[in-house]
Amino acid sequence: MKDAPHARDEILARIRKNLAGAKVPPLPSAAGVPGSPKSITTPSERLDLFVRSLEAVSGRVHRVRSVERAVRAVSSILEETGAHELALSDGALTQQIARKLSSAVATFDGSADRTRCLRAPAGISDAQWGIAETGTLVLESDAERHRLVSLLCPLHIALLRASTIVGSLGDALAKVARERPEAMSRAVTFITGPSRTADIELTLVVGVHGPQQLHVVLLEEG
Amino acid sequence: MIAHLHAQEFPERARDALTDGPLRQAIARATDTIGDRRAKAVLEIPEWEELREQARAVKAHTLARLDHYLLQFVGNAERQGIVVHWARDHAEACSILGDLAAAAGAHPIAKSKSMVTEEIGLNRVLEERGLRPVETDLGEWIVQLAGEMPSHIIVPAIHKSRQQIADLFASKLNVDRTEDPAELTRIARRILREEFVDAGLGISGVNFAIAETGSILLLENEGNIRLTTSLPKVHVAVMGVEKLLPRLADLEVFLRLLPRSGTGQRLTTYQSLLTGAKRRLGDEGPEAVHLLILDNGRSSMLRNELERETLACIRCGACLNACPVYRHVGGHSYGSVYPGPIGAIVTPQLAGIGAAGELPFASSLCGACRDVCPVKIDIPRMLLRLRARAVAPSPGESARPRPWSERLGFRLWAWAMTSASRYRLTSRLARWFHGPLVRFGPLRAWCADREPPRPAPRPFRDLWEKGSIQ
Repeated sequence: MKDAPHARDEILARIRKNLAGAKVPPLPSAAGVPGSPKSITTPSERLDLFVRSLEAVSGRVHRVRSVERAVRAVSSILEETGAHELALSDGALTQQIARKLSSAVATFDGSADRTRCLRAPAGISDAQWGIAETGTLVLESDAERHRLVSLLCPLHIALLRASTIVGSLGDALAKVARERPEAMSRAVTFITGPSRTADIELTLVVGVHGPQQLHVVLLEEG
Repeated sequence: MIAHLHAQEFPERARDALTDGPLRQAIARATDTIGDRRAKAVLEIPEWEELREQARAVKAHTLARLDHYLLQFVGNAERQGIVVHWARDHAEACSILGDLAAAAGAHPIAKSKSMVTEEIGLNRVLEERGLRPVETDLGEWIVQLAGEMPSHIIVPAIHKSRQQIADLFASKLNVDRTEDPAELTRIARRILREEFVDAGLGISGVNFAIAETGSILLLENEGNIRLTTSLPKVHVAVMGVEKLLPRLADLEVFLRLLPRSGTGQRLTTYQSLLTGAKRRLGDEGPEAVHLLILDNGRSSMLRNELERETLACIRCGACLNACPVYRHVGGHSYGSVYPGPIGAIVTPQLAGIGAAGELPFASSLCGACRDVCPVKIDIPRMLLRLRARAVAPSPGESARPRPWSERLGFRLWAWAMTSASRYRLTSRLARWFHGPLVRFGPLRAWCADREPPRPAPRPFRDLWEKGSIQ
């Protein structure tokens, strides 16, 4: 396949010609963007806002105080939905919890076995960050292979440490930014509730292409 | 050039739409609902106006230095393994994308919703080459199955009732007829999931391209964009030259504005921030990532500040929902992939005043579009400028022929309004000859659909001069 060799140069030349002599207005500072949530300075305020925001978009939140309790929470979510098979990410918390699940749940590496992942009833991953402002989970591909297990199955369980919840979208963007662009995760996925559509008469339907249910197990340690 | 353009048919198409009761009802209900949701979501942010101003300023700066930011973006993207293509116009873009699709083999091509691929008429070109593009956004898929065009930027099938969609699915997909949106959605999930698994190529748009990192950001609710960019072996993202933002941190502004303006959500369900191609064995995602950067008339809109503003549009669709004209005639009347107020200024600038000069007249200039625009594009002012261009085109552009009565009418108007004595004379004449004037004169066409105002029996200035009013 051959692109026209001069397309790039010609487009840039057109742009430069049409911008010749244009006044360049200053670029506003990116600090202190208007509309950041106010008065959520303490971790517990961030946590409360996160839970409220996520529940407002039909996400389910399970607050636990230890890894053992997290295992129990995951087990009961699976029981409740009748899922006996669970696609795993390679996230640290996910792996830790998967090892402690009952043998009645068949676990497997979700990103290695795509065919199985496509049929599995449930997937589980960590989430690297939470955003209080919107109830959003942030998943970074450098931390774990999250792209398939958080998307393909009807149920997605995400494990989040309460200490990683930040206040605003801007705070989360600062967390995923790196010194050099090459060091950024190849895929950063922001997830706010289950997959949804309103394309038929604006009627809300959940679970169109992605998960129908999103459960977040929130680990509040010490 | 814009594919499948019928913008000059606006008057006829609008007249047809106005007699289509169910269509008008569907659009009115949908635009009311989204408009209300938007209003509520905006109220959550007391600094909404400052936020809009910041977005406007970021875009104004970026567009004024577009060459610089494009090169920075492309440099970062290429360094991280993305193959960048440039296309001067729609034909060049379709040819590059067609080659990429053909190279992916005899598989379906998974497409996620993208205005720019609609603009270049990509699906038809791919089909002509024997390839099979599949729209995967539910609304776009419905429109594709029906062989129609989207009629709204955010809600492509806004013009279709659930009964029509039920009939469509039953006849095209060999499934039992159901009118339940949840059931219809499940059918779509099942069928489209198979297509995703088979697809050799995924084609997406781009919402924002970040110069300092070479990243692209995509927003959605359904998850089909995540599938399009994760499952097929090759991903191609298509973007207009104008999609740039200088810094990653600028996303905060636009992520707060776009979902609220488009659907009234605080944030759409998914954002995918994608940077570079696969690095390590075992990484998830496509083997290769391509990016196509399209001009197709955009660079000519950089010439002056007002026209440049049009390129700041983030395709939220808020102006459609707010527009009294769109709400009555729907998206198909505009005969362009870009409907509504933003379409009325984008289409003539991309396709030429000769091909779309009717559209700037499809407005009452009420300004509702400007009030809701998250990046503060002065749409009414741009409409006026395009109207002027349509009646007095620059060399090389074709004029929009106006009826003799309208031309005569405006000439008389200008003559009368530019001198006090002529104004006095003509207003007296207007009082005497009011009846014949609206029945036979140049005002006849205007009065056909409107109640003509009656001149007061005694003009205000006479009363004022006589001291009857103080």
